[in-house]
Amino acid sequence: MKVGYPRAVHYYDYFPFWAGFFRGLDLELITSPLTNRQVLEQGLKKASDETCLPIKLLVGHIQALSGMGVDALFLPRMVSVEEKTYLCPKLLGLPESVFASVPEGMGVLTLDFNMRQGKRRVIRTLEEFAEGLGKTGAEARQGFLLAQNWQEHYESRRHEGRSFGESMGEFDPRLAGEAGRTIRFDNPDRDESAAVLTVALVGHPYLTQDNYANLNLVAKLGERAHVRFIEEMEPQGIEQGLQGLHKSVFWSHARKIMGAGASYIGDEAVDGVIYLSCFGCGTDSMTQDMVARIARQQHKPYMVLTLDEHSGEAGLVTRLEAFLDMTERRVQRESNFSAHG
Amino acid sequence: MLLGNEYYLGVDVGSVSTNLVLLDHEEQVAEALYLRTMGRPMQTIKEGLKQLRAKFPQARIIGVGTTGSARQLAATLLGADVVKNEITAHAVAASRVHPGVQTILEIGGQDSKIICLRDGVVVDFAMNTVCAAGTGSFLDQQAGRLGIPIEQFGPLAVEAQHPVRIAGRCSVFAESDMIHKQQLGHSLEDILAGLCQAMVRNYLNNVGKNKDIRGPVLFQGGVAANPGIRKAFEEELGQEIIIPEHFAVMGALGAAYLAEEKLVRAQGERGESRFRGLQVVDTEFQASSFECAGCANHCEVVEILQDKTILARWGDRCGKWSSGKGEQRSASEVNAR
Repeated sequence: MKVGYPRAVHYYDYFPFWAGFFRGLDLELITSPLTNRQVLEQGLKKASDETCLPIKLLVGHIQALSGMGVDALFLPRMVSVEEKTYLCPKLLGLPESVFASVPEGMGVLTLDFNMRQGKRRVIRTLEEFAEGLGKTGAEARQGFLLAQNWQEHYESRRHEGRSFGESMGEFDPRLAGEAGRTIRFDNPDRDESAAVLTVALVGHPYLTQDNYANLNLVAKLGERAHVRFIEEMEPQGIEQGLQGLHKSVFWSHARKIMGAGASYIGDEAVDGVIYLSCFGCGTDSMTQDMVARIARQQHKPYMVLTLDEHSGEAGLVTRLEAFLDMTERRVQRESNFSAHG
Repeated sequence: MLLGNEYYLGVDVGSVSTNLVLLDHEEQVAEALYLRTMGRPMQTIKEGLKQLRAKFPQARIIGVGTTGSARQLAATLLGADVVKNEITAHAVAASRVHPGVQTILEIGGQDSKIICLRDGVVVDFAMNTVCAAGTGSFLDQQAGRLGIPIEQFGPLAVEAQHPVRIAGRCSVFAESDMIHKQQLGHSLEDILAGLCQAMVRNYLNNVGKNKDIRGPVLFQGGVAANPGIRKAFEEELGQEIIIPEHFAVMGALGAAYLAEEKLVRAQGERGESRFRGLQVVDTEFQASSFECAGCANHCEVVEILQDKTILARWGDRCGKWSSGKGEQRSASEVNAR
């Protein structure tokens, strides 16, 4: 049996977990191709008009799987992955919210993954899921151990500062060859001697790591700056960034973005922070402003970039260039100041 | 030191206007051209150069900077030394003509921006999102609807006694609100002034949101020609708004300054320009595009040709076309149209 996993939404955070689990069950789990124009167009056509870009991309990836000979689609309902937090409401609505766009004849395998109910319940759910596929409870428990192991391994790789492509490539062979491909610009203005900046790109990994959806932002940024991501921030850093909030943030992603964003703002090695968001994101509508306030207080260059399905590259490049020019000039000025005492 | 016939050229190719500025040896504006792009940037650039050549037949262009949304296209055609985004170009121009400026309000044809500077350095900026409410084209359109030339829009608005309140959140709603006010019998002046206020409110709420607007405030871009908008800004911000002499071509001016900066500051002496010469005017350029069939992205690649030689290509995501200038493409790599 061949099961398809769409390369969208929680793929970018939890794929190693599910890859490990399916390996434990001895089932083949294959991923859809990297996002491309066709995926996006299919997604726009088949998804509900009102949902967010990431869900539209998910629908596009589901269509892409249909031509790959998969017997079923695996789309878990990720309710909660850690204590006292939930994933965003649009992820809780899966898979039902996209049923209408699942190609005919393709089965959907799903389960509720809810850590708020405790590990024992999660294991029980996984056992039931495995039994439904003709596997044993022992295999499910084996799978769970492997899943946790792979997920931890992935996360520690990211904390070490290894790239997404390299770290995820260990579990997703399709990524291994694609990582680090960059785009080149014929720009006579590129000054090699320019100060090399460090810029934190905060936002949902399904935006920051999907190079098609974000219009190759990371490569463009990488031409002039070292890029840091929220996944590279260790849990202590995130906790530190969240201190001083009146109320805890209960969406996992928003919490991570908020904490990592605030920590990067306070980090002297980081010269500027870019928040990558997309139209229709409920949690970003709050966190992008909360992070903005912290950036303003601490006088850190900060910019929000908002993606949608008809984002022009020109607008993005203009903003990005201007932001980097601004940050570079500021860094140069600050270093001049200290030189003069 | 520049000679009398040596100039830096700054070119700003925007969606609505194409501006060219010649900077002379005393860093003064020798000529400023404001042309309508009319959707044909290549022809407009050539037209601008033609006008410059006619007026300054002896001119030697010793450095070129381009900016605006078609800055890459302009850079390819002209052989630019500097290609810069509009925000940096506007900020450079403003701080050169008015040192000490802390805020720049810029409203152009289809976009608007705010730039905050402190001690001559950009510290914050914002651009409008996809919505065109609160930009020049909206004013243009409404002036056309009311049958008054755009030049009279501002002077009439300043005459208003009791500006009416118009919803400015969205240009579609603003228009219906305006028609409603008209039908109730409000005077044209009051409606125009209301429109100016609505636009300024919209600008400050969207583009200027959370920005620390401190004086001196410069207002530039084509819309700065409208005294009604300037008055509305002054009332809303409670401070004087300065309109620089060359408000309409500040982007091009900034590009010219940047070209100068780049070439002069390089080694203390002047670097060689990449400018292709004023004879560019007589050269035939062709722009075409094709769809790459290399992968599922089907990138639309733009190709600029001069007498069948490829000058530049862009638009591809992987860089196989933009980096491989001059290579001929085979039919199999391209989708048939």
